[in-house]
Amino acid sequence: MRDKLLMAYRSIRERRTRSILTVLGIAVGIAAIVSLMSVGYGMEEAITGELTGYADFIGVFPAKITGTTYVELGSFTDRDLKDVQRIGGIKEFSAMTFDSAEVEYRNKRVPIFFISGDTKELESMYVEPVGLKEGRWLRENDYKGCVIGDRVANDYFDEVVHVNDKLIINGEKFIVVGVFEKASTLYASDIDPYIFLTLRATKEALQTDEINYIMVRVYDIEEAEEIAEEIKEAINDNHGLDDFANAMTMGSMIEMMGDVFNIIRGVLVGIAAIALVVASIGIMNTMLMSVMERTHEIGVMKAIGAKSSDVLSLFLLESSMVSLVGGVVGCVLGAVAAKVISLGAGTALGIEFGAVVKPEVLLGGMVVAMVVGVLAGFYPARKASRMSPVEAVRHE
Amino acid sequence: MIRTENLTKVYQMGDAEVYALHDVNLEIQEGEFIAIIGPSGSGKSTLLNMIGCLDTPTSGAVFIDGIDTGKLSENGLAEIRREKIGFIFQQFNLVHTLNALENVALPMFFAGVKRETRLKRAEELLANVGLGDRIYHKPSEMSGGQQQRVAIARALSNDPEVVIGDEPTGNVDTETGNTIIDILEGLNKEGRTVVVVTHDAEIAARVGRTKRMRDGRVLD
Repeated sequence: MRDKLLMAYRSIRERRTRSILTVLGIAVGIAAIVSLMSVGYGMEEAITGELTGYADFIGVFPAKITGTTYVELGSFTDRDLKDVQRIGGIKEFSAMTFDSAEVEYRNKRVPIFFISGDTKELESMYVEPVGLKEGRWLRENDYKGCVIGDRVANDYFDEVVHVNDKLIINGEKFIVVGVFEKASTLYASDIDPYIFLTLRATKEALQTDEINYIMVRVYDIEEAEEIAEEIKEAINDNHGLDDFANAMTMGSMIEMMGDVFNIIRGVLVGIAAIALVVASIGIMNTMLMSVMERTHEIGVMKAIGAKSSDVLSLFLLESSMVSLVGGVVGCVLGAVAAKVISLGAGTALGIEFGAVVKPEVLLGGMVVAMVVGVLAGFYPARKASRMSPVEAVRHE
Repeated sequence: MIRTENLTKVYQMGDAEVYALHDVNLEIQEGEFIAIIGPSGSGKSTLLNMIGCLDTPTSGAVFIDGIDTGKLSENGLAEIRREKIGFIFQQFNLVHTLNALENVALPMFFAGVKRETRLKRAEELLANVGLGDRIYHKPSEMSGGQQQRVAIARALSNDPEVVIGDEPTGNVDTETGNTIIDILEGLNKEGRTVVVVTHDAEIAARVGRTKRMRDGRVLD
């Protein structure tokens, strides 16, 4: 075996440039798979890891969600809110409004989304993880105060908005009491473009009391699904519809995101697989050329007593060695690329996440490289082993 | 030792059938040194390839040591080539990526001989053909005569009973040719059967028996 390895190594070295290019082909294919999967896992972990901290949450919307479309069906009524609060097992309850309004600052008007709700609930959801850069958080009786996200402060207007500046929201003057830090986590990053108001402010100043989001926290996570069902039934009964309300536990959201990530990963791996197919055609080509060039040598080996299986194993060994090296180089490149990509993407999107290079992904990469090597090497190797010695020897 | 029975090889050239060998009946005794001579295209090399188990006949049979080679599997033929026959080619046919020592050890490698044993034996064989100081040279670093001597050492590596040479002096100068004939003669004196195909009158004059071929037939 040691000698066969040595012989295979020699003939690889003999065709150094071509071998290096082939190794590179495999390496790029494997690196693509490893890096894309690792970035995918990193993203998933960043998001679901964060969401797991909110595992006792149930979100209730008056909307139909199918796939990625969200169709809002109306507003929750006071009766809905009371009925939901009556359901057992609920620790905290908070009704919120999501809407958009026209906001003016120093003569520039922009439509901006706002969130209003129970200040304590919002605080635990957003202020704790993100933090305030300036000022303070809303108080329940802040009638005309608001807290703004990072992009509202820095990007939307010609000038940067600070605490104590005045914004005109739907014609009403509001004072900025606080400015959020730039959200650096994936989940909470959607607060950057928002304005936060108290419920009283939206009701009295903006004259909307549309409640289109209810947030519930349960005592026991195990009961979350059951409670979500009860909430849905109670609200649907009030509206006489089957599918007015949609109550999602954080668990099912994580699951849904898991599905989405599986699809994303599938697509990424599919793209990488194309690279790998190209690489394996490369190996096959290299090996076929090698067989053709060495027809004479194969003939000589057979003439001096090599069995077909000897020739087959020599050539298979050669292609496996090339792909093994390609696999190792690919895994290393892939792991490094994953770190670089996640760092770059994290900086560009302003979020913190690191690629997760799983050992099973590396192992899988190696296995794929070897399988590709053996499969792509098999046809040329068999061709070599089946040559008639006399014809092969005659070949110059 | 070697016997052919109505050995025939036909090549299809378009519509025409070309008889490279036509009912060849030849018997070579153990320990004999025989030269097969004849013009180009007379079928000498084809006959040699049949005897060397490199090629299969269209009809007829080749017996080596009493074994009908036509009944052997591909692996069986490989075994005969490896164990019973040493082949020397006109073009030397060394593996150019391997050095002299490794080339000589190659048949033993295919025979499954242990590394230490085969390298030691290869070294001895190379010393016997006067190349003891060239064992780590690649074929490209050696003259034609040296390469042919490596090829002879390789042919002997599994201690075959039969040595077959296809114009072994055809690609070397006269002096080297004489050395190679000396070596072959020595092998014959050790008791090996030696069969050569040659254009070389020198060889023909020195061997025990010559057989003339023409148009695929052995002449009496």
